[in-house]
Amino acid sequence: MIGFAARRLGAALVTAWVASIIAFVLFWTVPNVDPAYWLGGAQHGNDATRARATEKYGLDDPLPVQYVRLMKSILNGEIECFYSCGSLRTTFVQALPVTISLVAGAGLIAVGLGVWLALICVRHRGRWQDRLITTAATAAYSVPSLVLAALLWAFVSYRWGLFPAEGYVRLRDSPWGWAKHLFLPWIASALPFAGAYVHVVRASLLDTVDQDWVRTARAKGLSEKRLIRRHVLRNGLIPPVNIWGLDFSHAFGGFVLYVEVIFGLPGVGGLTANTLASFDLPPIVALAVYLAIVVVFFSAVVDVIVAWLDPRLRQPRPST
Amino acid sequence: MSRGPWSLALRRLRTDRFALVFGILFALIVAAAIAAPLYASEVAHTTPSENHLTDQIVVDGEPTDVVSLEGIPIGPTWRGSYLLGADENGRDLAVRLLYGARATLVIGGGAVLLTLFLSIPLGLAAGYLGGRTDALISRLLDLLWSFPALLLGVLLSTAISLSGAQIGPVTIGSGSKLIPLVVIGLVYVPYMTRPLRGQAMALRGQPFVEAARAAGMRPLRLMAAELLPHLSATIVVVSTLLFVNAVVLEAALTFLGAGVNPPEPSLGVLIAAGLSEVVLSPHLLLVPSIALVLIVLSLTGLAEGVRRALDPRGKVNFDLVRGR
Repeated sequence: MIGFAARRLGAALVTAWVASIIAFVLFWTVPNVDPAYWLGGAQHGNDATRARATEKYGLDDPLPVQYVRLMKSILNGEIECFYSCGSLRTTFVQALPVTISLVAGAGLIAVGLGVWLALICVRHRGRWQDRLITTAATAAYSVPSLVLAALLWAFVSYRWGLFPAEGYVRLRDSPWGWAKHLFLPWIASALPFAGAYVHVVRASLLDTVDQDWVRTARAKGLSEKRLIRRHVLRNGLIPPVNIWGLDFSHAFGGFVLYVEVIFGLPGVGGLTANTLASFDLPPIVALAVYLAIVVVFFSAVVDVIVAWLDPRLRQPRPST
Repeated sequence: MSRGPWSLALRRLRTDRFALVFGILFALIVAAAIAAPLYASEVAHTTPSENHLTDQIVVDGEPTDVVSLEGIPIGPTWRGSYLLGADENGRDLAVRLLYGARATLVIGGGAVLLTLFLSIPLGLAAGYLGGRTDALISRLLDLLWSFPALLLGVLLSTAISLSGAQIGPVTIGSGSKLIPLVVIGLVYVPYMTRPLRGQAMALRGQPFVEAARAAGMRPLRLMAAELLPHLSATIVVVSTLLFVNAVVLEAALTFLGAGVNPPEPSLGVLIAAGLSEVVLSPHLLLVPSIALVLIVLSLTGLAEGVRRALDPRGKVNFDLVRGR
């Protein structure tokens, strides 16, 4: 188990490293606009700012040297922006709890709702309850989070004032305020996922319920409740757990980008969106690297958890 | 007389009332989007980018400003001009909506075509040739796969807007509508290649492939003539599902300023603009939001129907909301 975890984290490090190279190539070497001009203040650079930027960033050095220097500054958190961006690493680390709260809460709601509704579907398989829930689930994932977030923010919190329209309160300071600020973002992000999960979990549970050993367990007199909880759910949730894991790690570069912008949450998604809009290259590369680390780290953690739940996955994957 | 798999699938699709309703709805939306210029010139008598800040129209016998002196645009009139109201520049929202839907659908469809163009050779080569080719392609795609589509899209699109890109004979300048198309198409390559590779790998050991090889067929021809037809059902199913995601991803990218550039209309542009005007003119947010939901809903219903018809045993694995 520990060996698996170490292997998985090692692979994650390699992935993050390759991602950092790609980010460097993409933003440092590819722009055919002279990067010195960009660094010298958007498109308005002149020869003076160009000379200053070239010296400040050492743009005449060989690329590997520039790469190492840039990554060092990114990991130290001392990125030189032309516009002020302070210590980006500190900002990022402070913003991370907001995003983790958003993603974890949305994930719990999506998974809880998905499993609960899927269980109802399985119990009433083929009857109207099943049809109603699967139809509602299809409808739920047909409403994109973007639209849901925009409408909930605009009407429920901004126009009707039922929830705060902006800002964030730390869980430590006030659990009630924390939940109030995050409730609508949770709903907006979770509903489409919950809809999709109903389908995934339902299909997987139906597969499990049809297995011979379920019939055997029932025949030997297990109560239906115990059968579902101890046997069917444990096996039937293995395929969905893999999907949840990947969705969880992807969320850090997915819906948080626009949900945080819309709800004015000071998380990493909003930070990234604002930085990208500024077209300031060093912090863009820095945020790409930070987010890559977060995504890769969480997907490794999730993989380890899944492997702990299902020992069959601990063996090195047959070359897929 | 035996029926081919396609006619069987078509028959299944025809009896699938759920899918039919959504299919017709989607066809109507596409028809409306295609007819956008016709609507603009014949019914609304304007263009999507024409401002009417000082115009007046007659509503219930009374002349009304299109944009009031306080800068509040007119709401839905439910008449030929300004059917769905105007925006803060006095532009006809219905016209902009049709053009926007057109842009969104073209970007989504074009992106899926680009994905297909890249994934089919990659998936076939990786699955059939195996070995080093497979290792190289799979590692590369796994790397892309491990990052969220939206983040990749935003970063790629920002990089392309900074520098422009040269792809063969096509030059993409910053601000071009081709940027979101190319970005979405590239980001979805692993989503399409994975299932194709898996199927090609499974088919490799089949007797008919061995027979073709024994008859001296070259790998390239074998992949195109023997393997590709077996993958067509998967290709159609995954393409329709990806189309849904591409439409949603366009809106999200544009919302973040990394897709279509305003004032050029697209659903993402209209939603972003509507959100900033929502206090005084809620119709500016509601109209494009409803339009996007209708497109996604009808397309999802159709895609699910296509999937039930072509893949009744549920062999194709596809995560519905990932990659948005």
